[in-house]
Amino acid sequence: MLAALNRRFGYDERSAALLVFPVVAVLLVVAAFPILYSFWVSLHDIVLTRPLRRPFVGFDNYLRVFDDERFWVAVARTTVYTVVTVAVTTLLAVLVALLLNENFPGNRLLQALLLVPWATPSVVNGLMWKWIYDPTYGLLNAVLLKLGLIERYRVWLGDPDLTLLLIANAAIWKQMPLAALLIIVTMKAIPDDLYRAAKVDGAGVVQRFVHVTSPALRPGLMLVLVYETMISIRHFDLFLIMTQGGPGDASFTLSWLIYVETFRSLRFGTGAAMSYILATTTFVLSWAVIRFLGKRL
Amino acid sequence: MQATPRRPIAPRVLRGALLFCFSALFVLYVAGPVAWLVSSSLQSEAQITAVPPNWLPPLASLANFEAIFTAADRQVTYENRRQGDAATGGFLPSGAANLLPSLWNSLTVGIWVAVLNLLLSVTAAYAIAVIDFRGRRATLYTVLATRVVPDIALVVPLFLVIRNLGLINSLGALVVTYLAITVPFTIFILISYFEGIPRDLYRAARIDGCGHWGALRHVYLPLSLPALVAALTFAFLTSWNEFVFALVLTQNVQAQTLPIVISGFIMDFTTSFSFVNAAGVIAIIPPVLMAVVFQRYIVSGLTAGAVKG
Amino acid sequence: MARIICEQLTKRYGTTVAVDALDLTIAHGEFMVLLGPSGCGKTTTLNMIAGLEEISGGRLSFDETDVTFTPPHKREVAMVFQSYALYPNKTVRENIAFPLRLRGTPHAEIERAVEAAAAQLEIAHLLHRRPQELSGGQRQRVALGRAIVRQPSVFLMDEPLSNLDATLRLSMRSLIKRLHHGLRATFVYVTHDQAEAMTLADRIAVMRGGLIQQLDTPDAVYSHPANTFVASFLGSPPINLIEGAAESGGSFARGAFCVPMAVAVEAGRALTLGLRPEDVSAPGPGLTTIEARVELVSPLGSETHLEVLAPGDVPLTLRVPKEWRAQEGEVIAFGIDPARLHVFDRATEVRL
Repeated sequence: MLAALNRRFGYDERSAALLVFPVVAVLLVVAAFPILYSFWVSLHDIVLTRPLRRPFVGFDNYLRVFDDERFWVAVARTTVYTVVTVAVTTLLAVLVALLLNENFPGNRLLQALLLVPWATPSVVNGLMWKWIYDPTYGLLNAVLLKLGLIERYRVWLGDPDLTLLLIANAAIWKQMPLAALLIIVTMKAIPDDLYRAAKVDGAGVVQRFVHVTSPALRPGLMLVLVYETMISIRHFDLFLIMTQGGPGDASFTLSWLIYVETFRSLRFGTGAAMSYILATTTFVLSWAVIRFLGKRL
Repeated sequence: MQATPRRPIAPRVLRGALLFCFSALFVLYVAGPVAWLVSSSLQSEAQITAVPPNWLPPLASLANFEAIFTAADRQVTYENRRQGDAATGGFLPSGAANLLPSLWNSLTVGIWVAVLNLLLSVTAAYAIAVIDFRGRRATLYTVLATRVVPDIALVVPLFLVIRNLGLINSLGALVVTYLAITVPFTIFILISYFEGIPRDLYRAARIDGCGHWGALRHVYLPLSLPALVAALTFAFLTSWNEFVFALVLTQNVQAQTLPIVISGFIMDFTTSFSFVNAAGVIAIIPPVLMAVVFQRYIVSGLTAGAVKG
Repeated sequence: MARIICEQLTKRYGTTVAVDALDLTIAHGEFMVLLGPSGCGKTTTLNMIAGLEEISGGRLSFDETDVTFTPPHKREVAMVFQSYALYPNKTVRENIAFPLRLRGTPHAEIERAVEAAAAQLEIAHLLHRRPQELSGGQRQRVALGRAIVRQPSVFLMDEPLSNLDATLRLSMRSLIKRLHHGLRATFVYVTHDQAEAMTLADRIAVMRGGLIQQLDTPDAVYSHPANTFVASFLGSPPINLIEGAAESGGSFARGAFCVPMAVAVEAGRALTLGLRPEDVSAPGPGLTTIEARVELVSPLGSETHLEVLAPGDVPLTLRVPKEWRAQEGEVIAFGIDPARLHVFDRATEVRL
């Protein structure tokens, strides 16, 4: 009895409450309230052009979204984009981690450079690559022409088949460092003894990677995959800067759809519903990645 | 006694060559685009629009940067817009004067967010990592869960709340907003690092007479420097780079942050490329500098976390 | 001044009970050792006394004051850890001074106390160093310094010597014993090393599974173990335990192995017999003679350990003076005094 009271109001409990309160307060106001309010909005038919009429419509907005064919286009685009981004980012991250994990002169310098893309603001990232892709003066055109891979300058971002990949390229460039860092940190934790034992057993470089490094990387890779998926699926900044959903609907992702619906069509109700669908999908996907890939890798 | 056999030369040379090759590729990939950005910013409009492009600025000049820093003194009108680069007609966007003020805004907001973030996260992370209190798990999960919903979804409700409070265009509102989006990750980093500190040190401090504040001050903080630096850097960087919330919550030029102003330039078709690149370079310097200088601390700061998966 | 009274002290982790309704009263100035294998609850009990673990049930008092819910920094106990737990960012001097600083002790007094403690522990020359620069033994002395500088009435020690090498352990043991005599404080010492327990304790609480198996002086616990667990835990090499049964006539028998007992037991009762390795001598009057074949000879210099096979295929380990010459394969005869045998009920393991 007394023990239960102590648990509730004792020194530890009071201290913890005091220490945690500021964070909880800020999050409550800035995050929790908008999240809940946003959900409430998604259950009503709210259009800013007629702000006074906001009937409750239950899950109608959600159904309307699923009926909207733009939604399914966006799903397709987002899927392609996310899969490509996450896969290539992770692959590059592992390669970079392998390189930086080796001991050689200048290693430190390379590690210092690693974070440059991560530190670059997404706006500048978009600007930088847009300039490289520029149809008239861009570096990409110049290089490819010189290498003889194209015959004349192309409008890269205007090519619907390439748009998503080009944007993904910019995203991958910026995200790879953090992923590589997480993997490097995991690699450093692998005890040397395992490698020594493998060498004594006769394992070559590739075999050592397969049998020692890969299994030990699983938790790190898991973290990277989940984090990258969560981030990539909701990318917005690059799309705003580089293509605005175009050309046509080539880069029309879910984030862009939400933006258009909310800020251009001013249909807040359906916009909020879309957001919640995206949020739920992200959550489920992350859970699925952890569940299934966690066993196989 | 036998002489120790020398290791064969060939594999060593091969390894060296491979390392060099991959290192070169790595540097090219990571630093190349930025180098091109810098190079472009040092060229005049005429040089930059040359085909094929000049890899290195033929006559590196800081004219573009000068234009940025003096833009406030000039009033850009239709007539003198071309004065950016008289020779070939480099154009200054009419918003050029906003660049410097927005730089200060970003800097102010960034520093406030970094510092306040640390104050908030350190205490919460300590409590969650060290104290076994009721609702500990729930608090942690709730904090992390606030990041599941995409920012786009939060923008409108947040906008409405802030507008009703009359705080649109207030840098303070921006700071508080950024706090909310950076705190979950920094708490995560700090918790992981705190859990790596030997528990016996905490016990010794409590026995010696420290309450929780004392333990935090004498044990956890002094030993967490890398994690604190990583958290500071992350908070500042996120704040500096943030775009969506700033777009919606700041609408007049006095309050806007750097990314917003730059995005304005990019959208403006008449902007000269060299000028935009120069603006980009200015935007990129503080965060990149921070990241490079603190890189070692960031790596150690993240170490405890990733290892535990 | 510092009596520690544990009444029905309990610690639960979910459904697991780590410490089960412990009743223990430690007298003022006593050196109490909690002895047992890992997982027996001794460290948990110590942590509850320190306030580092929340008490799930029961009551803890220091003298008349109930401290069950008092947080650790208000309990005025000192503690020494197995890992030393020295603050790495402080010098030795700062480490030792820390508890006094926290209490707002005036500077001059702190200096005096630190110097005194350092002198007593012979680490005065290390005061300006950092813990990382010290050896294990030196670090432990600093930890002790940090503890004694407060002149506490209660001293808690959690396996403080386990991380030290063997020779260091012996010298530190005597240091701790001397400290106890000098400070006249109540010591509670946790260890799994029975030699430490025997040499240091005023009383030993042998623990297993969260319960006290026996609480008594070292001599009593050694000579009259309450059950087979206590018997086998104390003594090195461990006591020989032989399973068998009582026979009519007051003997213990296991196959061909038969010795008279000093205790009366009804015939047929299943028993476990305990024979300490050192409780054998040359055959003589009043002693039961056993002939056994020597399997292994381990000379230790000061004595010799013999592993022998007694009749009934009973393996025994014996400690004999080094003068006894025995060779592997040889058959030797030795005498056992029935009064020195320990008889336990086989099922309950309790002494009879």
